[in-house]
Amino acid sequence: MASIRKLPEELIGKIAAGEVVERPASVVKELLENALDAGAREIEIELVAGGAERIRIRDDGSGMSAGDAALVFDRHATSKISNFEDLLEVETLGFRGEALSSIGAVAHVEIQTSDDAGAGVVVRAAGGLVEPPEPRPRSRGTTVEVASLFFNVPARRKFLKTAPAELRRVVEVVQGYALARPDVRFSLRSERGTVLDALPAGNGLDGLKRRVAQLFGEELAAHLAEVDRSPRPGTSIWGFVGDPTTTRGRRYFVFVNRRLLRDRAMMSSFYRAVRETWHGSEFPALFLFLDLPAAEVDVNVHPQKAEVRFREPRVSSDLFLAIRRGLEISLGEVDAPLTAAADLAGAPLSWQGEGGRTKASLSGSVSAETGDGNLAAELHEEALPFSSSRLAEISYTPPQRTPVPLSGRSGAVRSLRVLGQYKGTVILLEGSDGLYLIDQHVAHERILYERFRADLDHDVPESQRLLEPVLLEISAAEALRLAEMAADLEGSGFEVTSMSGGTVALAAVPAALRPSQAEKLLLELAHGGGDGGGETGHLRERLLDALAASLACRAAVKMHEPLSADQMEAMVAELFASDQPYACPHGRPIVLKMTDRDLESRFGQR
Amino acid sequence: MEVRIKRADFLAELMPMQGIVERRTTIPVLSHILLQANSDRLQLASTDLDVSLTSWCEAEVKGEGGIAVQARKFLEIIRSLVGDEVQLVLEDERRLSIVAGKSRFKINGLAPEDFPTLPTVGEEEKVELPFTKLKKMIGKIIFAVSTEESRFQLNGALFKLKDGAVEIVATDGHRLALVENEIEGSRDNDGVLVPRKALQELQRFEDEGNITFCRGEHHLSFSLGKRELTCRMLEGTFPDYERVIAKDNDKRARFVRKELAEAIHRVSLLTGDRARAIKLRMSPNQLVVSAANPDLGEAVEELSSEYEGDEFHVGMNPDYLGHFLSALDTEKVELELKDENTQCIGHPVEGQDRRYLCVIMPMRI
Repeated sequence: MASIRKLPEELIGKIAAGEVVERPASVVKELLENALDAGAREIEIELVAGGAERIRIRDDGSGMSAGDAALVFDRHATSKISNFEDLLEVETLGFRGEALSSIGAVAHVEIQTSDDAGAGVVVRAAGGLVEPPEPRPRSRGTTVEVASLFFNVPARRKFLKTAPAELRRVVEVVQGYALARPDVRFSLRSERGTVLDALPAGNGLDGLKRRVAQLFGEELAAHLAEVDRSPRPGTSIWGFVGDPTTTRGRRYFVFVNRRLLRDRAMMSSFYRAVRETWHGSEFPALFLFLDLPAAEVDVNVHPQKAEVRFREPRVSSDLFLAIRRGLEISLGEVDAPLTAAADLAGAPLSWQGEGGRTKASLSGSVSAETGDGNLAAELHEEALPFSSSRLAEISYTPPQRTPVPLSGRSGAVRSLRVLGQYKGTVILLEGSDGLYLIDQHVAHERILYERFRADLDHDVPESQRLLEPVLLEISAAEALRLAEMAADLEGSGFEVTSMSGGTVALAAVPAALRPSQAEKLLLELAHGGGDGGGETGHLRERLLDALAASLACRAAVKMHEPLSADQMEAMVAELFASDQPYACPHGRPIVLKMTDRDLESRFGQR
Repeated sequence: MEVRIKRADFLAELMPMQGIVERRTTIPVLSHILLQANSDRLQLASTDLDVSLTSWCEAEVKGEGGIAVQARKFLEIIRSLVGDEVQLVLEDERRLSIVAGKSRFKINGLAPEDFPTLPTVGEEEKVELPFTKLKKMIGKIIFAVSTEESRFQLNGALFKLKDGAVEIVATDGHRLALVENEIEGSRDNDGVLVPRKALQELQRFEDEGNITFCRGEHHLSFSLGKRELTCRMLEGTFPDYERVIAKDNDKRARFVRKELAEAIHRVSLLTGDRARAIKLRMSPNQLVVSAANPDLGEAVEELSSEYEGDEFHVGMNPDYLGHFLSALDTEKVELELKDENTQCIGHPVEGQDRRYLCVIMPMRI
């Protein structure tokens, strides 16, 4: 057996580089962080062959003095922290002091820098060997050029993908930082020309929205809803979440103190919020910033700083609530779809109320049995031309009602007055800013869902045994997933036993579900569908969500069911007091709004 | 077409057509009834493409021909008319005049060619049985037919001929009902699935005579007097039902059917969508039925039983038990049980049928 030796310094450098530098995109990431930490207002990136040949990043940041520049390639040389306490309060993006030394170990690197106009230096390193600094004049800022990446690590070099593929990864990285700092100009060029050039867009939500438009187009920016929440002093959650039209392309960007992360815990808050809001398996665009005191977050968990830990356990539920609110807005403030004016012109108005209509019949003999209410046809009958004299008979005038003050969870109090019910299906409300239309079935479903869901947290759901177990053919991996979930499944009324191979037998199902619903839900769980990660963490909640949704749908008021004004008021009040007044548990919208502006423009007043 | 008919006869044949006609159909002609006059008959037909009904009534035919008319309106008109006789005359291809007493209607219709061609059912298999007997048997199992569309093979009942007997079975996966009776002259077959709608329509008929059952390649027909109901056979495999009828349930309890049904009905008033189970607690000579609902409250009722075994309890959907108890026609009922996870098998005590039972799966509460 070989005896133990101390590794040569060069090899230590290469091993450490492996953790930080994986591909051109990771070089760009490290250098961008340095540039931003140096206070750059303008950053230019140039790539050749997707960065494998050359990466050049130029900034106008604070630069380095000749003395500091001499130390940049030493491992763990950094200006950003100096003792362990500092590590607990990292406010800069980079801090480990690993980046330049790591890159220097596996590429030819040349750094030109100047902390004051004129007096600059240039330092070079290649394969871990550092040359002494030489003076070279330069304006304030730093330019780093990284050439022949992995020239001395052929194994790594072989693993690089094609130039376009590497370029795509770099673009993703640059997009992330460009979103984090809309106030900074970012440009990216390759040998084919300009890939991206985002001018300074300003700060805050407006700046971010302009930056999103620069990077992803105006179309996406137009489909974003604001997220803005400050759960505690010093902590704020802000940004944008898209509506259901923005689900293409996995555009999820989450920043903690302006640091782009792929933190699983945070993403699962997002997945959960989406699932609860529209129960889809597709996720909208997300640009979310969590700003909190540096001491509250530990970023020193992962070498690439992709995951973080929070000292405050409530952070994930804060995120969940903030995102869900944004999703609500994205669904709730949808304007009423505009139907052709002609459709409305001939439509008769009808009041479904106490004083009601009298029914005239053609032949004079009034049939006692008017059947199962084809309302459309009945309304049509009433609109016959010769019935104009009957206008006098429709004597119903809506009673004057005082507006109900309604406060949603958002805390905003709105005054909505119930106008009436349209075709026994839609509740019409007058608000200070427009006409609200509420789908009564979906609204009631939402209210019941919340009630049932809360009860299910402490009730044990009823379970119905099946006459004959239903056999489901699934893969062995899926069967194992189900086995893992056995306890949660049983707690919600399923009884699942594994048979040979990939077959499972379903012997009992939650009584709240129809057999086919139960099978479908179980298969979905086995496939790990529903959210990108497929984690089993929120399984019990998901099961109970599904049960509550099914119960609510069945118990809710159906369409074509006349409601009294009092019933409508009570329902609307309860709806707006509910957790999520804008979408039903299945994700359909509940409230449509036609603003005064819509109405005015359609009547040609604007 | 020009015919004169007795209004009462016509109405009697017209009414059952109504059940077949689709209420909300996307194909307009399916909400119509086909009327056709030839020799001395006015023939009627209606269909929803799965189930069809034909019939006829005697008529004084002066001109042959036909038209399809909107079923609901046509029935309303004929019903509202006065006088014993109605005259139907085809004005032109798509217009029918109806005259009775001093009333005259001219209604629009569709050409008979637009009406679907109804299936003719072969006679590969033909059995005759008394209609009242069949009707009673259907009433004893129809509640267990599944209404869930995704399990189409359960959307009907299995008609199985045995040597000298007919067996009808229905299940929705939670419960199963089976009834068997002797009939003359039948041979074994492997069973056919009759859709629920056909069963429902058969139940509406009134007749003292025999019904003839024919089985073709894809269709079935039931002929009773002037009427012939045809339907498409359901495809699919029916569960192996004998296997789910447990043979080792060792706890037997007897009840007065009416007492048990009423107690269950009362207690179930406190069940709902979210808490639908009732609890049956058996102890020697006593049954306690109870329900607890977080929204509403609780209900308990005790009743006497003939039971000797150990004390235990089982949860059950009260509708399932209730449907069975109201389909029964005997004074007493026996429930065979084992434990809280095993099915309950109910059957009449001293019933008329050769075999009648209902299996109900328990609920965990």
